[in-house]
This record gives sequence, C-alpha cells and structure tokens, in this order.
Amino acid sequence: MAETKQKAKTINPFGLAIEKLYDFFDNKTPRYIFMIAMTAFLIYLPLSSSRFTQEIMTNVFFYIVVCLGLNIIVGFAGLLHLGYAAFFAVGAYTTGILSSVYGVSFWLTLPVSIVAAVIAGLAIGAPTLRLRGDYLAIVTLGFGEIIRLTVRNLSITGGAMGLIGIQRPVLFGMVLNQIVHFYYMFFILAIIAIFISYRLHDSRLGRAWQYIREDEDAASAMGINVVSTRLYAFIIGSAFGALAGSVYAAKMTAISPESFMFIHSVMILLAVVLGGMGKIPGVILGAVIVTLFPELSRDIGQYRLIIFAVVLLLLMLYRPQGIWPERQGISSKL
Amino acid sequence: MRKHWILMLVAVLFVFGVFGCAQDAAPVDGEGDVLIGIMVPVTGSEAADGIDMENAAKLAVEEINAAGGVLGRMIVTTTGDDECDPSKATAAASKLISEEVVAVVGGYCSGATLPTLSLYGDAGIPFVIAAANATSLIDENPGWAYMINSTGDAQAAKAVEWFKNLGVESIALVDDGSAFSVDLKDQTKSQWGAEGYAVLAEDRVETGTQDFSAVVTRIMAANPDGVYWTAYQGLGALLIKQLRENGYEGVIMVGDGSSAQELIDLAGADAEGVYCTAPPVVDFLPAAQSFIEGYNNSFPREPGAYAGLMYDATYLLVDAIERAGSFDGEAVKAALAATSGFEGITGPVSFTPQNTLNRSNFVILVAKDGRWALAE
Amino acid sequence: MTAWEVFLQQLFNGLLVGSFYGLVAIGYSMVYGIIKLLNFAHADIYMSGAFCGLVLLGFLTPYIGNAWLGIVVSLLISMVAVGLLGVLIQRVAYRPMLKAPRLSILITALAVSMILYNTVMIITQGQYKPFTTGLVHESFYIGALRMTETRLVLLIAALALMLMLHLFITRTMYGKAMRAISLDRDTCQLMGINVYQIVAITFFVGSALAAAAGIMAGVYYGTVHFFMGFLIGLKAFTAAVIGGIGIIPGAMLGGLLLGLLEAFGTQIPFIGSQWRDVFSFVFLILFLIFKPNGLLGRIESERM
Repeated sequence: MAETKQKAKTINPFGLAIEKLYDFFDNKTPRYIFMIAMTAFLIYLPLSSSRFTQEIMTNVFFYIVVCLGLNIIVGFAGLLHLGYAAFFAVGAYTTGILSSVYGVSFWLTLPVSIVAAVIAGLAIGAPTLRLRGDYLAIVTLGFGEIIRLTVRNLSITGGAMGLIGIQRPVLFGMVLNQIVHFYYMFFILAIIAIFISYRLHDSRLGRAWQYIREDEDAASAMGINVVSTRLYAFIIGSAFGALAGSVYAAKMTAISPESFMFIHSVMILLAVVLGGMGKIPGVILGAVIVTLFPELSRDIGQYRLIIFAVVLLLLMLYRPQGIWPERQGISSKL
Repeated sequence: MRKHWILMLVAVLFVFGVFGCAQDAAPVDGEGDVLIGIMVPVTGSEAADGIDMENAAKLAVEEINAAGGVLGRMIVTTTGDDECDPSKATAAASKLISEEVVAVVGGYCSGATLPTLSLYGDAGIPFVIAAANATSLIDENPGWAYMINSTGDAQAAKAVEWFKNLGVESIALVDDGSAFSVDLKDQTKSQWGAEGYAVLAEDRVETGTQDFSAVVTRIMAANPDGVYWTAYQGLGALLIKQLRENGYEGVIMVGDGSSAQELIDLAGADAEGVYCTAPPVVDFLPAAQSFIEGYNNSFPREPGAYAGLMYDATYLLVDAIERAGSFDGEAVKAALAATSGFEGITGPVSFTPQNTLNRSNFVILVAKDGRWALAE
Repeated sequence: MTAWEVFLQQLFNGLLVGSFYGLVAIGYSMVYGIIKLLNFAHADIYMSGAFCGLVLLGFLTPYIGNAWLGIVVSLLISMVAVGLLGVLIQRVAYRPMLKAPRLSILITALAVSMILYNTVMIITQGQYKPFTTGLVHESFYIGALRMTETRLVLLIAALALMLMLHLFITRTMYGKAMRAISLDRDTCQLMGINVYQIVAITFFVGSALAAAAGIMAGVYYGTVHFFMGFLIGLKAFTAAVIGGIGIIPGAMLGGLLLGLLEAFGTQIPFIGSQWRDVFSFVFLILFLIFKPNGLLGRIESERM
C-alpha cells in the first residue's frame, strides 16, 4: 500500500521526462551498448585523470567486491552478518604474513588466502548457522571482534602496529606499485565478482538460498539441506572478502588492525542495504555511494555518519528494499 | 527494468561530473602561489588534535605571507583529511599529490601516516612530520619524511630516566592496544629491563572500558613502585582515579598521549602529583608566548599539545625552501637534511641520518593544583 | 593484599559491576521477550542516561548541590526522560516494523544506535566528560573489605531497583500482560489487551533502568564518554543470554554471574588483559551455541 502511495506522489513534469527516457532503455540493445560504453570508459579513465581520481575509483571497485561478497551472505542467503571485516582481514593478513615474513610471491598467496577464507567461513558458520537470525548477528559481531583482537595481540600478525613491508606483486617482470596498476586489478576483481554474483543468482544454489529465505521449513521439506546451503553462502562470501583483502594488503604494503573494526563491517552492510539487498546493480550502486559520498562532502565531516544512519533508518521504514527498483516478474536477466 | 538504467546513467554522470575531467595539475613554475599540503585527521576520533594542528600551520603560513611569503611568493594551503585511518590517509595523500603540492606538513596518527611515506617518496614530495612518532616510521621511511617530534624510544628513555630519578625500582605498564601506545610500552619495557629493573605487570585496556578493577587489582597485588600509562587521557584518567581510590600510593606517570589538560580535569583531585612525559607543550616554552597570543587571536581555542610542533614544522619547511633556493623536491629534501640548529619555538632542530630529531624533546610535567607544571 | 582480601574485594567488585550489567540486561530481555527484537540501541540508551544525568546534575548543582540529593533527583528525572526517549524510539522506529522481516528491524535498531551515539559524539566533540559529584571518597573497612560509602549506596540502589522491577513484573497487571504478550502476542490482542500500550511501557521501564545504570556508572567511574555503551551493551547482552533471553530474573542473575565471572576470571594468570574481551566473546558464542536458552530458559518450540 505504501508503495503505490509513494508512486502517486512522484508524478510531476520531471518524472514524465524520465518516463520518456525509460522507454529508450526498454530494448536490449541500448542496454548492452550502455554497459559496453561504461566498461570502456572505466578502462580508459586512468589514462586521463588525476591520481586522486584513480585512488578513489580503486576504492570504489574494492568496495564493490566486498559488498558483493557480503551481499551473497545477507542478500542472497538472508543472514545478517555483522563481522564481515573479519573475512577481509583474513585475506589481508594471510597475504601480509606470507609476503612480508616469508617472502612468498603475491600471486601464490592468493590461493592460500582463499583457503584461509574457506576455513574461516567454515569455522564461523558450522557451529552457528543453526542459530536464529538475531543470535547469528551477535555471533558474527563477536567473531569479527575476536579476529581483530587476535591479530592485534599476536606478534606474527605484527601486533598493534600491524604488518609492514608487504611486497608488491610482480607481473611479467614488472613491479606493480602504481595506483593505476591497482585500479585495474580491483577493476578486474570487481568484474569477476559481478559475473560470479549473477551466475550464482541464477544457479541452483542461488535458488536454494531464495527458497530458504522465503520459507525455511518448506525448503527443508523439499530436501534442501539448510545448514550446508547457508554454509556455502558463508564460504563464498568469505572468499570474496579475502581476495579483496589480499589485493588491499599488496596495495597498502602495510596493514593494521585499525582497518578491520566493527564500524567497517557496518559500512559494508550499510552499502548493501542501501542499494537493495540481493539486487546486484543495487549493491553496486550502494558501494559507489558509500565510497564517493565522503569525498564529495568534506564540509559535512563529522555529520557524515549521522546522515548515513538517518538515511538508513528512513530507508528501512519507507523503502526497505533499497534504492534500486524491484525487478518486474521473476526475470533473472541483466 | 528501465528505471535501473536511468539510475545507472545518473550514477555514471554523477561520477563524471565529479571526477571525469580532473587532471593532475601542472607543476609549479613561474609566478603564482605556492601550494603546501597539510595532512591531519580533521574528522574522526582524533579530530580535536588534527584541527588544532591545522590551525597552527595556517597561523604560521599567515605570518610568513605577511612577511613577504617564501622566495617572494605567497603560500596557499590545502588539507588532506586522513581521519586517523590508513586507507583514508592514502587517499588524502593521493589527493595532495595530485594537487601538486610542493611539500606536506602534518602526520598525527602513526598508523595512518605509515603507508603515506612511500607515496610521498615515490612522488618526490618532502614531508615534515610534526607529531607522529612511532618507531616503525623510521624503518619505513624511504628518505623523504623528516620527523621533528622525538620518537617513541626517546620518550621511553625520558620515562626511564625520570623513574630512576624518583627512586623507582619496579614498574607496571598499561596500554590501550593502539599502535603508538603499544610501541611506547615495548620501548619502555626493553629499556627498563636493560637497566636491570623489573616490570612487574603489563596490562591492556580497550577503548570504551570504564571498569579497570581487573587491572587495578593486579597492579595492587604486584605492588610496583611506579605505573606508566602509555595511551590517551580519557582512559588514563579512569586508571588514575581507580588506582588512587583503591589505595595505590606509588608513582603514576603518563605518556604524551595524555598530556592534555583534560587528563587533570577528568581525574580531579586524584591527578595531583601525576607525572607526564610530554612533547614540548607551548605553555612552558619561553619562545612560544607570541605564538600563543597569535593562536588565541586567530582561533577560538587554546593551542593544543602539538600545535607548537606543527607551527615549527611549517616554519622549518619554509626555511628549507629558502635555503634550497627553489621548490624542487630534491633540493628541498637536501636542505631539510642539512638543517642544523633551526630555532623553532619547540627548540633547535637538527636531523639524524635516519631523519629523526637528534635530541629528545620530551619534558617532564607534573600535575599541580589542577594544571600541568614543569617538573624539572 | 592477602588472598582472602583479594577474594572479598573481587566478590564485591563483581557484584557491583554485575548489578550494572543486570540493570541493562533487563532491558534487553524485556524487549526481546515482548517483540523478539535485539535492541542494539539499548546500550546507547544507557549512555544517553549517563549524559542526561550529567547535564541535569550540572544544572541542579547550584540549587541542591551535587551530593546524594542532587544525584538522586537527577537520577529520577533522567529515568523518566530517557524512559520517554525509549518510548519515542519504539514508536518511530520499531512499531512500524513489527510485521517486517527480522533482518529489517535489526538493521533499524543498528541505525538508531548509530544516530544516538553519533549525536552525543558531535555534542561532546568526542571528548570524555567528567561526572563531578560532591561525594567523598573516604574508605572504611567492613571486615577485610575496603569500601566507600559511594559503592555501598550504589550496590544497594541497584539491587533495590532490580527488586522493584521484579515486583512490578510479578505483582502488577502490566507485568502480567508483558509476560502474556511474550508468550503469544496475537491471542493477547484477541483477549483485549492493548498490546501497543504494553510494548510502550516495556520500553519505558527498560530504558529507565538502563538510564539509572548509566548514571550510577557515571558516579562510580567519574567519567562518561559517547562510546561507553558499546562494551557494556555486549556484556549486558551476554548476561541476558546467560540467564535466558526473555526471562527477567534470568537477566538479573546473568548480570551478577557475568560480573563475578569477569572479576574472578581476570585472576587467571594466563589470560592477560589483552585477551579478556576475546575470552568474553568466545564464552558468549559457546553459550549461544550450546545453551541458547540460557540457564533459566525453557526450550522454545516453534509453532507452525
């Protein structure tokens, strides 16, 4: 009811002009041309923009990857996860330790990072996925803090000062140490993340997640193993985060526990919810907004978090499905 | 369906509009203003000190401009907000670099400053670090950063010296888990141990803790002659109060993170007699009187603990540029390295081969009658 | 200090801190029992109570001093004020969400929590604020136990509040209604109970108690800070879970137990203080996994 009331309110000349534009994109062709154009633009961008722009866009791509990772857990599987920064930390520290202490080449640390993520996902998920949603939320928060405090206390993870001297990746003899290199690395990672997200959504696993979200008991009655299906979500989401963390570690060359706090987990969650949980373009948009907003509004400064929180509250009250519009029908295409 | 693409288009235009055409600025040459970058946390948990440092730098620039600028040109500042967070700091550093600043002053949180060292190094931009002083910065410095605040090991040395002075033979160390606090604790521990004395207890409290009873009980049980708190004043005040309320009568000393007046305000009567290894706080510097007046005139607050250092950092940078005779990065860097006895309000500045201050600038303060006073 | 003295001291400390936890845990339990929501914002209500008390005390000091009289008056007014704040929050943010999926209302609670502590952060500029009272700190001894007047009064006050709450829950109609609603909300509505009103009262009482705990903490520790709610919130939630979420005597018991556990737990030599919070979290997680219904809880069967 509330939905239609809101739609009625927004009819105005501006809206009508937009309607005309909508028609343009109804066909597939303009849509694909648009996507190709945008991809081309993003590939071209670093060649003609400032280092600052590249830095920001790299952050955007990084955020897209982690948000899509959390989206698998929260959006697809419907599990509230308040400690996602922990998965990202696992990846970052795996690469960090292997690289700075043992001198392992960056590319070799990636598979190890994924394995570590899988282990972390299993360790956190296996005992707890039977719990009710609210309890799961607290448990994930607890795990996030446990991991952060552990890396802060152990000396192998560099203690409170963190790890320094993480080595840059070397590709075909070239050391990747410019921001533009990481721009492309995260860009590729984001494309992969988007691709995998879409494939997952349309797969049997994706549908299983949807059934469980809709009605856990019916799904179970249909033969879906609820716990292991959810575990897959945890593991895959964790892998996304860990990969992002590994590349992040190589980019920063120094990581410390301060980058993996509760507030970071909350911001990632915020981005996912803002755009619309479960909707991939929405999550991307959410990631973009959350990353770009602070850069554009330096004057707001301290009020930034309050504004975010108020927006989140309003969103939950009036448009819990997020900014991104709903798909019509059950179409799962782009 | 269609709405998706509109939103995408809007989002992209949004991004275009803001960044699409931003280019790396042309290098500074010829006439025109000189751009100097300020990198401090202007938002976030450390904003109070960050804003204070920004103010001090701006005051210095104002004075320098009034006296004719540097090499005949006026200085304009631009601030990069590092939010005391390593990733935001790298973004801030990138921003300053792409704005083609001639040099940067600032650096408060060691953890956040660390990853920016290589960025400035790669870009050939001299960086005068006013406050950040964890020892890890020394090792990671590619050579373009110069630290004018004595480092953690110097502070530990001062603490050890003062404890010995007071006849203390055993201490307990308490930190809050932050990078700089743990660094100071480690330094103190190893130096104290090297002197042959004992550390009877080591404890950590998390931010947000109010209840120190566990720590206090352990300290009371170990009964050391002195306690050294290496982190900030909020928690430090709580520790002091709870120690005294439980009957601890030994020496209590706090590190430079707690050197603010706030520590005494929060701890109340219990703060009496507490010592502090402090950075050169302007209140006690004879040369700083006119700085304090200037600061009070320009800004609605008292200068904070690091304002003096930031002021000096700015003047030092300008001095180096004048000595180099140009704005070229390499030349300014060489001039900074060659600094010998530059008289700042916080004392003379010369650098060691590791780009650190070649003397310890720490002083010992004692809380007396509700305010800090020099103890030596 | 002898081992006996340490033991007594820790026992007392544990009970005192535990009673703070208990007062806050009650709020979590009550709200969870009645609308099945983990109110993330509750910890920040505790913090708001402390600041409300601070402001009021500062305002009242010229008139009635800031010793016990001033504190009690500030406490009572703050309890009412923050209780109403709790009702307001419930009305604006939670009531519209009662039929929404659980995920949404949890995120709403998170948003409210962020708004509360960020507002206080901006007002205080992130600084710690001293909670100055005119109380004396002279200690005296009860047997081998070192005590101050303040601590004794606080402990008694906290226990008294908990007792009053217990009577409220068991002896009044409102209390009965609360317990009934936590068992079966829809039937209660059919039976003519004004559920919304009872929910509002629940929030009022829970918030008022948390505010009281906040002010008592302010008096006890002497400083308040915008982030003081976070740790307490997690611990109080742990206490509520230990006792059995939704069960009020459980919250009180859980609080006291947790306080004692922490006080004595830190005496264990190999768990240095750096690991203390990890220890608490691990403990919480194990409890949630193996005994999610708490010590006093019943097994909840889900009806189809």
